[in-house]
Amino acid sequence: MRARDVLAAFPPITADTPASEAARLLSEHKAPGLIVVDDRGKPRGILPGVHVLRLAVPGYCQEDPALARVIDEPHADHFLDPLAGRKVADALPWVSRDLPVVDSEATVLEVAALMARTGSPLVAVMSEGHLIGAVTLQTLLERVVAQ
Amino acid sequence: MTLTAWAATATFLFVYALIATEKIHRVAAALGGAGVMLLIHATNAETAFFSEATGIDWNVIFLLFGMMVIVGVLKQTGVFEYLAIWAAKRAKGRPYPLMVLLVAITAFASALLDNVTTVLLVAPVTFLVCERLALPAAPYLIAEALASNIGGAATLVGDPPNIIIASRANLSFNDFLVHMAPMVVVLMIAFILLCRVMFRRAFRYDPDRVAEIMSLDEREAIKDRRLLVQSLVVLGLVMAAFVLHPVLHYEPSVVALLGAGVLVAATKVTTSDALSEVEWPTLTFFAGLFVMVGALVHTGVIGLVSEAAADAFAGRLGVATMGLLGGSAVISAIVDNIPYVATMAPIVGELVQSAGGEAAQVLWWALAFGADLGGNATAVGAAANVVVLGIAARNGTPISFWQFTKYGLLTTIITVGLCVPYLWLRYLVGA
Repeated sequence: MRARDVLAAFPPITADTPASEAARLLSEHKAPGLIVVDDRGKPRGILPGVHVLRLAVPGYCQEDPALARVIDEPHADHFLDPLAGRKVADALPWVSRDLPVVDSEATVLEVAALMARTGSPLVAVMSEGHLIGAVTLQTLLERVVAQ
Repeated sequence: MTLTAWAATATFLFVYALIATEKIHRVAAALGGAGVMLLIHATNAETAFFSEATGIDWNVIFLLFGMMVIVGVLKQTGVFEYLAIWAAKRAKGRPYPLMVLLVAITAFASALLDNVTTVLLVAPVTFLVCERLALPAAPYLIAEALASNIGGAATLVGDPPNIIIASRANLSFNDFLVHMAPMVVVLMIAFILLCRVMFRRAFRYDPDRVAEIMSLDEREAIKDRRLLVQSLVVLGLVMAAFVLHPVLHYEPSVVALLGAGVLVAATKVTTSDALSEVEWPTLTFFAGLFVMVGALVHTGVIGLVSEAAADAFAGRLGVATMGLLGGSAVISAIVDNIPYVATMAPIVGELVQSAGGEAAQVLWWALAFGADLGGNATAVGAAANVVVLGIAARNGTPISFWQFTKYGLLTTIITVGLCVPYLWLRYLVGA
């Protein structure tokens, strides 16, 4: 089984994409992360979903879990509101030198090894220099376990 | 002076410069300095490790260690978050009463615990409360840092310089309560009034936002009531044992160690969790400093400086007191007050001895007030200030060096200025 057999089409985003749009795409595609591409469509990095959360959740709640508890439910339900006006670039912690990118001909073991090494739950799949989709940890495991 | 004494002095000054300029990590500087002192035979292993007068002061190290463990457990209870939110609700969202309550809580907590922990616990709640009230967080954070340094001066365990002074001068917890705490209460009242003026532009009251504060549920901050009760009981017993030293005769270090031990043994907090809160670099820094200063005592350098100081101030206790108060404040504003007090303690000890009599004890209080309050003058004067600046930057409301320093300097001038009549009237008139 090759990467091309387990990939799914993934909407790429850029560093200028609104963070709220990234949150919507994560939810819509049930994705653990999104692929960030540059102006030429080349993968620049992976935006893990938790980094969108880090941008949205106030620093004081992250530093002190007790403070997340004291906030009432109606306010807690709107914790994504601070994403308004923010961009994906604000949530990207670094530009990874070891991008989780594989060729469409890579075996599932190569994909798994890359995920394990980079800690990314999402791997971009390229074919002839073009981004054609992504493999998520969930899809990978589902397909391999189902064999 | 012998060649070794000169070499020890040069080493000390070089290391002090490294610490002050932060060219290398202060722990590396202090340990390196201690190593050089041992290498040049300015001190030796027996003196450095086992001498009460010229070696590592284990009372200080273990008192700090014990209190760090207790604080580490107390932190997990959520009591600080509870108090701060309770205060915000009591203030009904009015900006100045909110600041008064927050600085009062910070100062009180700093008197019992270390200043850095206190501001680390209060600052995140401050962000939450200020966000809800659409108030700028910076004035509140600055006021809390300043209050923690003032409050810390009140007790033996409130600020590391006090711990060093208490150990070197053989002063008890009660001595600090009698001589420092009453004046700290006065200073806090003055500081609270000063806040009204200094931060007046930040006090914008929006009645529509009061409901935002009232919807917070402070009781949710307390996750484990049993742990809270256990921690407060142990902290209460530790404070009672400090006060009852004349009856119980247990050193503060022993009390803190016992308290830490009981807390770890009796609660579900694991030993590794409790020990993870211990600031080992700080304890190591203290050990290195004690070896270095001990070497200066051992080689007679401190004795010579003390003699010169005693000659200069002979019969002029008032001048010595005010000089020490002002000088300590200025130096502590620029460099870390811990190495300063560690160095000055043996010198002041000699001065007190040569001046003779109970009246000369005022020099210890001048040193404590100067060193504790001087730290407020600049953004880098005290560890609590640096920590607040770091938290503010991480939360997207950076406080610049000068923004902090303009308030800190004014606070220091006023608080140190108020100590002048206090020390003069209480200790020097008629002495």
